Amino acid sequence: MQKPIATTRSMAGLPTGRLAVWWVIASEIVIFGGLLVSYIMHRLGHPEWGGYASHTNTWAGAFNTLVLLSSSLSAVLAHQAAERGDGKKAALLLRLTCLGGATFLGVKALEWSHEIRQGFVLSTNGFWSFYYTAAGLHALHVIAGMIIMLIVSRDASKGRELQRVELIGIYWHFVDIVWIFLFPLLYIAK
Amino acid sequence: MTTHENTAAHADHGEHAHPNYIKVWGILVVLLVVSVCGPMLGIQAVTIITAFGIAVVKAYLVAKNFMHLNIERRFVVYLLLTMLAFMLLLFGGVAPDVMRHSGRNWENIAAKAEIERALAKASGVAEKKPAEPATPQASSAADNYKSVCAMCHGEKGEGNGVAALSMTPKPANFADPAFWQTRDKAHVEKVIREGGPAVGKSPLMAPFGARFNAQEISALADYLMTFKK
Ligand code: HEC
Repeated sequence: MQKPIATTRSMAGLPTGRLAVWWVIASEIVIFGGLLVSYIMHRLGHPEWGGYASHTNTWAGAFNTLVLLSSSLSAVLAHQAAERGDGKKAALLLRLTCLGGATFLGVKALEWSHEIRQGFVLSTNGFWSFYYTAAGLHALHVIAGMIIMLIVSRDASKGRELQRVELIGIYWHFVDIVWIFLFPLLYIAK
Repeated sequence: MTTHENTAAHADHGEHAHPNYIKVWGILVVLLVVSVCGPMLGIQAVTIITAFGIAVVKAYLVAKNFMHLNIERRFVVYLLLTMLAFMLLLFGGVAPDVMRHSGRNWENIAAKAEIERALAKASGVAEKKPAEPATPQASSAADNYKSVCAMCHGEKGEGNGVAALSMTPKPANFADPAFWQTRDKAHVEKVIREGGPAVGKSPLMAPFGARFNAQEISALADYLMTFKK
């Protein structure tokens, strides 16, 4: 298959693909940043939200943080393997990363169904609206990352497009960083 | 084709030396443990530092070592920092209005009412205890009225509570005999349970069906009648 010329160029001093990923992340910073910043100001203006937050499960949140940190490790190890030309290993590590993503989503699903059964839903109050919106948007990013990773790993296992292993990794680390902030905001600060 | 691209990509990072990723991960996990344990001390300043200070450190470690921002082109770093600066700008511009609930010519009645209601509720039930959202409360109708309704309807039920000053329509005046001529207990219970709109009245009269159980609502309705002059 013929590739667009832009794909193989590196005009800005770095490969075009990587530039594109940074561009995506720059806009993601504004998306998540805007959401989190609005959450923080409401939280500071509403002393009662601390009480609502006490219903979130810190242990589930902490476990999920561990899962995402570990999946970031496997993503970066995949990048290392790809750089050494070992597509098979890179693919394996990317799939391991996906497994981390799936675990994360599984825990999320349990948490949410428990909370919804207790009567905390999107419309319960401002806190829960932010809780479901922020964590939900983040979960969508996890799902998107997993799909892309599966596609990249299929190519990588055949030794093709190995540079993409790094690119999806960068995105995944970003999603990890978002969670690093969501965790204290939604779970620890009570 | 593929090999060519790979070398191009590599030339860029110049086959950089990889940090010890497992060690970085280990540090991240230790930091996570600290951030979870921090709040157990019960000191707020410590919680804020261990929760948010550590989040910043963790984000920095991931960005530097996993995303390799330390060996990335500088302009990428500046691009990301610019976006973060925008977020500070957003906070600085909007937060004062959101965090304060009144100013020279305005008052956020809904926010104040929400806080009042929630705090009254929190002082009623033991905090922390994972309670059902609609916790049945043992307090008397008079207490419930004072902590929830008086703010709008006034201590004596005359519709002149502090929050009522700038309200249109005014909260109902329970002292007015005319009020009771057209309303029976079932009607009043319905208003308390389902809110003003349920009987064609203003939504400023919020529904309290999730807050009080049937007995409490009945007791409140009886209590309202005692205001009648
Ligand atoms: C945020 C302010 C506010 C609070 C708090 C509030 N009310 Fe009201 N209430 C109103 C307003 C405003 C009206 C008038 C609605 C209208 O006339 O359209 C009203 C009307 C009523 C009415 C009369 C409805 C009718 O048929 O005209 C009853 C009964 C009532 N409130 C009971 C209560 C009780 C009991 C509580 C406490 C549990 C309570 N309210 C708390 C604002 C409030």
